[in-house]
Amino acid sequence: MAKASNLTRTDLDSSFESYLSVSSRTSNRSLRVAEKERRKSQTGDPFVLALKYFSEVEAGTPCSGNDVLERNLVLVERVGLSRGLPPEAISVMLDYAMSLRMGGVMCVRVLKFLIPATVVPQEAVVRAVSWLCVGKIAISTQVLFLRWVLTVFDMIDSKDHLRAIYGFIFSFVTEESLSPYICHLLYLLTRRESVRPFRVRKLLDLQTKMGRQPFLLLLLSLYKVFYPELVTLALPSRMRSGFKNHNSTWKVALSAVQKRNNGQVSSDISLTLGLKDKTNSRKRKFHHLELPSLSSSIQSNSSSRSRKVFPLEQLHSFPQLLDNLHCIELPSQMGSLLGSSLALCYLDYVQDDSAFLRLNFWLGHALHEEFLFCSGDGGSGSSSEALHFLNRLLSTQHFLQEGFSSTEGFLYKFLNVWDGSLLRPQILGLLSDIPVVPSSCISQLLFEPLMQLFFTSTLFFKCSVIDCLNSMLLKWLTWHSVYALEDGLDISLNSHTPMNMTLSGFMDSVMELVRFVGRLATVGLQLEGCHSLLLSFILDFYETVCDMFLKYGLPLVVMPPVGVFYPALFATDPVSVDRLGYIMYRYKKNLTSAKCQQQETKQAFHISRQTYQEFNHYLLFMVSCLWNSKMFLPGMAIEVDQELLALSKVPEPWTSFDLIHHPAFLGCALDFHHKCWPERKDIDLNSIKAGKQWDWYPEFLFSQGFQGLQQFVQSSINRRSAAGINGQRGSQPTNSYWLHHLENNIFP
Amino acid sequence: MIRRIYLTSKLNDAVIDYFSLSRFQLHHGKARCSKSTSCCCFFSVMEERSSIVKTPLNNVLTQRRSKSYRRSMRSCVEATNLGYTSGHLTALRIPRSRRTPKSRDITKQVDPDQVALLVTKEWELSYVTPLYQFRHTQLKSYSKHLSAFIVSEKQQGLAIEVGQELGFKVNFSVVLGLAETDEDAETVFIQILSKHAFAAKDDAQKVVWSGWLTCVNGDLEYLRSLPSEFVSLPLLCTRGPESLTVLVKSWFEKTFDCCFGPLGINSTNLQWLAALWIGCHPTINIQYLKLVWTLPTLPPMDVKYTIHPQDAWELWDSVRQDDTTDVSIEEVTRFIKGLQSHFFRHFRIELSAGSLMQVSTALGSSHHSGKIKIASPTYITTILQLLTECALLKMPI
Repeated sequence: MAKASNLTRTDLDSSFESYLSVSSRTSNRSLRVAEKERRKSQTGDPFVLALKYFSEVEAGTPCSGNDVLERNLVLVERVGLSRGLPPEAISVMLDYAMSLRMGGVMCVRVLKFLIPATVVPQEAVVRAVSWLCVGKIAISTQVLFLRWVLTVFDMIDSKDHLRAIYGFIFSFVTEESLSPYICHLLYLLTRRESVRPFRVRKLLDLQTKMGRQPFLLLLLSLYKVFYPELVTLALPSRMRSGFKNHNSTWKVALSAVQKRNNGQVSSDISLTLGLKDKTNSRKRKFHHLELPSLSSSIQSNSSSRSRKVFPLEQLHSFPQLLDNLHCIELPSQMGSLLGSSLALCYLDYVQDDSAFLRLNFWLGHALHEEFLFCSGDGGSGSSSEALHFLNRLLSTQHFLQEGFSSTEGFLYKFLNVWDGSLLRPQILGLLSDIPVVPSSCISQLLFEPLMQLFFTSTLFFKCSVIDCLNSMLLKWLTWHSVYALEDGLDISLNSHTPMNMTLSGFMDSVMELVRFVGRLATVGLQLEGCHSLLLSFILDFYETVCDMFLKYGLPLVVMPPVGVFYPALFATDPVSVDRLGYIMYRYKKNLTSAKCQQQETKQAFHISRQTYQEFNHYLLFMVSCLWNSKMFLPGMAIEVDQELLALSKVPEPWTSFDLIHHPAFLGCALDFHHKCWPERKDIDLNSIKAGKQWDWYPEFLFSQGFQGLQQFVQSSINRRSAAGINGQRGSQPTNSYWLHHLENNIFP
Repeated sequence: MIRRIYLTSKLNDAVIDYFSLSRFQLHHGKARCSKSTSCCCFFSVMEERSSIVKTPLNNVLTQRRSKSYRRSMRSCVEATNLGYTSGHLTALRIPRSRRTPKSRDITKQVDPDQVALLVTKEWELSYVTPLYQFRHTQLKSYSKHLSAFIVSEKQQGLAIEVGQELGFKVNFSVVLGLAETDEDAETVFIQILSKHAFAAKDDAQKVVWSGWLTCVNGDLEYLRSLPSEFVSLPLLCTRGPESLTVLVKSWFEKTFDCCFGPLGINSTNLQWLAALWIGCHPTINIQYLKLVWTLPTLPPMDVKYTIHPQDAWELWDSVRQDDTTDVSIEEVTRFIKGLQSHFFRHFRIELSAGSLMQVSTALGSSHHSGKIKIASPTYITTILQLLTECALLKMPI
């Protein structure tokens, strides 16, 4: 016995096979092959001998006072309870117990330690059920057996043979005390083909005899899933929880064995029913926002009775979805899909027009009734529900990576009546999901209502609108890049559909959007006194815009309006100036590569000369203002009369926005000054401009984390000349690089 | 002009029966106030808007979602009909003019017994989104399913075999001949009969609920744009206990994946109805024209305004510009304005500040909250057409 406990499980397994041949163990073959390699001769193993005893023992052998029996039984029991029995042992012991070769007492005892180590061979269960049909076993023992089957159900290696004897199992349903367990077992075994009208009628008969028993109803509700045209019922809420667990006898031992075998078999012993429980119990007169529950349709079933179908209700895992992809049946109410990501995966895959139309009808109806017609009780009570609903809609749209057309239609209407605060994050989130709007109507549908809201609401709303438009643009550009890649630059997509949009149409829409945000940003910054939070959101937007060519392959470059550029350049926080530097750097990259491409392919596209001019203007101004301390000169973007400047009594006004005196960098300049001349008491910032300090100062700035500025300086300012000449006003950095590159555009 | 003056002077002769200040029905008035004032204002705004922005017609077909540019095109189509700032309100969806009601003996096409079921009863209106996989050939099985469904919902937790003899009996039937165009689906009439628990075997079953789904002269473009799996019967009229209505609706929603919503009749449509009924006067005596306004005063004031049919007809005749078969919205507005200014002259109460709640004549009556009664089968199609339009305007897409 001591030896037996030292045996490893695999040893047991392999030693068995030399003795017993349980024919139909089809699964675990690979495991077995591996084990065979390590097979040793284990003929002397007492556990194997014990099993041999049980498989060969004659019927009618007395059990009282039978020492051999007792010894063997204790041996097997100990193995069973400590590390679980291998499949062959289960098979032998189950057959031994259920055949009642040594009476009912033995049977109960054996059943109690029948803990599988890996799997339960289904043939063993089938044979046991056939013993059940003999009808000699006491009812309580039968119940115990059924409970055992339910407990180890997930460990039965395959269930097709069990399903084949569905009718035999079904016949036990009339046995009153067995009925709950039989129903549960049938529930687990039922496939569409096992649902027959006569079985339905039998169960309904039982219902009239036994009353409303939950187990009958649960089984019938499953029948309804497969054949809604045969039976109908409404499950009361208290019954939605599913079947009880019957694993109490084996629970402890089973989980101990499983823990020991560290979960080699993933068995989920909680056999609960996947019925959706209603989320809100609160009574509302109108349930626009309640998702319908998944249920199969009466309709399609009747037409396709012969075809094998898999109702979505039965779908619980992704592998299941993959296995049944060809025969999944859409539910009777498409709205129910919104709650399940698996179902949405399927929806995305099938691309069924009618299905989408149904979903859109439902969704549009819910949104309209709740937010536009307000025919329900409406009011404050529903706001949390509305919130929940919109969040779910949002996550669905993000999951599918697109907006529903009914949402789109709803939003166009809703924007006109929206107060800008009700469910703001959700509404703006939905808004950012809308697909490309043609430029001919974008202003009317989107811009006009948004503009009204924008100008009349708070700073935070302004920020969130800009943010929303930014993510809208991002999504549009992403769509574009995906489809442009698929179909080349010619976007007359899918020639078989009448619907398409030309590249120029798309560009017009993007252009409109960017210009609109430009207008919003200009006025918004004025209204809010160039608030840096708003500015930050606006710069976010332009970070998207400046990279449209390189990142998304859209041959379009739009410069920010002056109302955005100058506030950003003169911002008091260094972050904004730094980001502006980065944006200008990206603009330069985009424009240069656009120009290269234009020269190479000749006819690819044409970025207007005006864009180059605007860019050059901004660049010149930025370089001369930050670097060369030149401002307000004739011919520059900002011209101020000299006399007027003199009136302001600011000394050297042209230097007030260079890198040293710029309000955003003043702190850095002071810091730098202090580091250069720690002992100097009087601060003369202009001394930074002289000599090596002027070379070091930018490096110092870059080391402070102004990466955007660094990229801007490195790409746009040629400092080679600075090293040689130490002329007046420090070095003489130039932007000759750019003058050279974009010459024809600067001087048209 | 002269004619107008003549008319008003004639109206002067106590055609106004009475108007009642609802101060005397304070309780009643208050309840309505909270509902009507807030609701009405909202509706007038909303309905205008929704009608304008209503998605049109052919887009339903192109509903197919995709991540491509195709979608946008749809919006484009949509947008061409938007123009809510300009005067041409969705010409496609909100009619600016209608044919004059033609008297049509409906009983020649439709079984008179079935017509009798529809008229002289007050129906509550709902709109229905298109029914998915509804088949007129399956009505028998629908009857079985609906009755089983009703019983199982009434007896929560009792499974019911479909097709069994139950306490409820449901009859689905087709009302042939009510449809006007080929695109209109035939009207479906539903009756729920109940057998008393202790009734003798041969006792007749009692009709406890009835309702019908119809579509008369529905917008052709919209109907054609729907895929063939969908049947559009946008108007549901019901009559019977609310609990059964809820069950029937829920069964339809589960079976045909459609959605229901209440269908109110807004002021404009009530005015249309008034004009349509007045237009019938030469052929059928409408006996009276009764209009009920609710004025947003505190407490709210209900004004019941009854006009002698001959006077109403003459006023109507005078605002009609020519003898074309079409009636325009301008004519309707002028007609109502005429009535209102007459009222103002006498009582100094500006009815246009309130909202029209109810219109009734001997031909039928209709209420703002979505109730209609059609008394005569002669003009039934005209009224159903108007209601079908209202219902289609409520479609979410």
